[in-house]
Amino acid sequence: MSAEHIKADKILDTRGLTCPMPLLKLKKELKGMKSGQILEVLGTDPGSKTDIPNFVRKRGSELMGITDDAEGFTRYHIKI
Amino acid sequence: MEATTLTENVSDVESSESMTFWNSLKEEVRKTYELLFYNRWPSWLAGILMAILALMIFLWHFPWGISGGYHNWGDWIYYLSGITDARPLSPWLHPVSVLNIGMIGGALISALFSREFRIHKTSRLEYLKGILGGMLMGVGSAFAGGCIEGGFYTAIGIFSMGGFAMMVGLGIGSYIGLRYLIWETDNMPANPAYRQPLPSQKPPFFNWSQAKPYIGGLIVLAVITAFYFYSFFDVTEIGGLCFFGMLVGMVMHRSRFCFVRVFRCPMMTGDAEMVKTVSLSLVIYAMGSAVIKWNFLQPDMMGVYHPFWIGSLVGGVFFGMGMIIAGTCASSALWRMAEGNTKIMAAVISFCIVNPLVVEAVKYSGIEHLLGKGLFVPKVLTWHVTLPLYALFFLLVSQLAVWNEKTEKFVIF
Repeated sequence: MSAEHIKADKILDTRGLTCPMPLLKLKKELKGMKSGQILEVLGTDPGSKTDIPNFVRKRGSELMGITDDAEGFTRYHIKI
Repeated sequence: MEATTLTENVSDVESSESMTFWNSLKEEVRKTYELLFYNRWPSWLAGILMAILALMIFLWHFPWGISGGYHNWGDWIYYLSGITDARPLSPWLHPVSVLNIGMIGGALISALFSREFRIHKTSRLEYLKGILGGMLMGVGSAFAGGCIEGGFYTAIGIFSMGGFAMMVGLGIGSYIGLRYLIWETDNMPANPAYRQPLPSQKPPFFNWSQAKPYIGGLIVLAVITAFYFYSFFDVTEIGGLCFFGMLVGMVMHRSRFCFVRVFRCPMMTGDAEMVKTVSLSLVIYAMGSAVIKWNFLQPDMMGVYHPFWIGSLVGGVFFGMGMIIAGTCASSALWRMAEGNTKIMAAVISFCIVNPLVVEAVKYSGIEHLLGKGLFVPKVLTWHVTLPLYALFFLLVSQLAVWNEKTEKFVIF
């Protein structure tokens, strides 16, 4: 499924933030979500491209996809 | 099935016939380029390479450090603004400054080759955190006689006891810093840190994205030329440091190697990867410097000046808080700055301004003797006890981190 067709239950905007803030905000956001819900994270920190997949894998959630947006940021779709 | 195999074989023969030496070379260069600059390097590989490079720098000139270069840049800020009259050593001749410049160059090369260079802007709060974090790191380095790199990594690697005291301080400081970040996440309103770029009215005059790898290639040539230039003026040692700095910068950027993660991740996510990486790196570094020092290739006390234990401990606490708040340490600041991170540039400037001031304040306040003095571990424990103890210590530290990853006992958020 391509990123445009994934309907997120929540969007977390971490654009402009650098390590470790995107991960810290993601961890907080995930705590308030239910199993099966989808979170879309928007980010510009290059480090997040490795940090977020590693964290999601460790947590046992599913990383549905990473998409580079034409406007210069990245979208991460995470299924809780 | 057979027909397909026959067709494949015929096309193989055709392609091998059309494969000239230059085509083969071009293909290999492309594959190597993709391997080196399109993929992230694993952190364990970076840990090994960092130890090897640190040992080469030690053999070439001195034990590796970063904050001495920041101090020199700070001295220049004060000199050029007319606050002091004493002209500092040129940043092009100051060994640590040249090493730092080489690191920025290496990281810039890596960021351009991988097309990752981009100006990253952020919110006022983030800039403020960068400045405050840089100031705290500047204070910490002044007390500990080095930053996380020189006062912890290199200090432990060359058997200076102050490195272990700074390690404890960094742990305490990281805890305090992380507590602040958690408080900020819970209590501060989400601050818009991103401004949508305005759509351009006409096509760009020049395609920078396409040009980035070529600009990176020009910087490689510039660093190599600089080495010969230094050599021509009989300062080959300084030129070599610029070259080693370039290699360190490339390794750090490709792997996103960051010492902050050693102290932050076990408390934030439980991730043990960087603890294991730096433990492995330190064992290699220490074994290598044992060969160098035990075999009298360099003096025993070379680089052993970290004030054990109060100076290193207190410095570690300040530095730990600063690095967590700024989101960088002194060494990773160089490669993050080189990939266009403006918050980190603010942190580096405030580090450079504060560090020389606190160094002078410590000197003139008369508290220097209270902070402690350099202690060479094998002088106390002998080489025969020190080496197995080192290996055992870092094995235990990495296993503790792995246990924490599984149980999250030390995770505070």
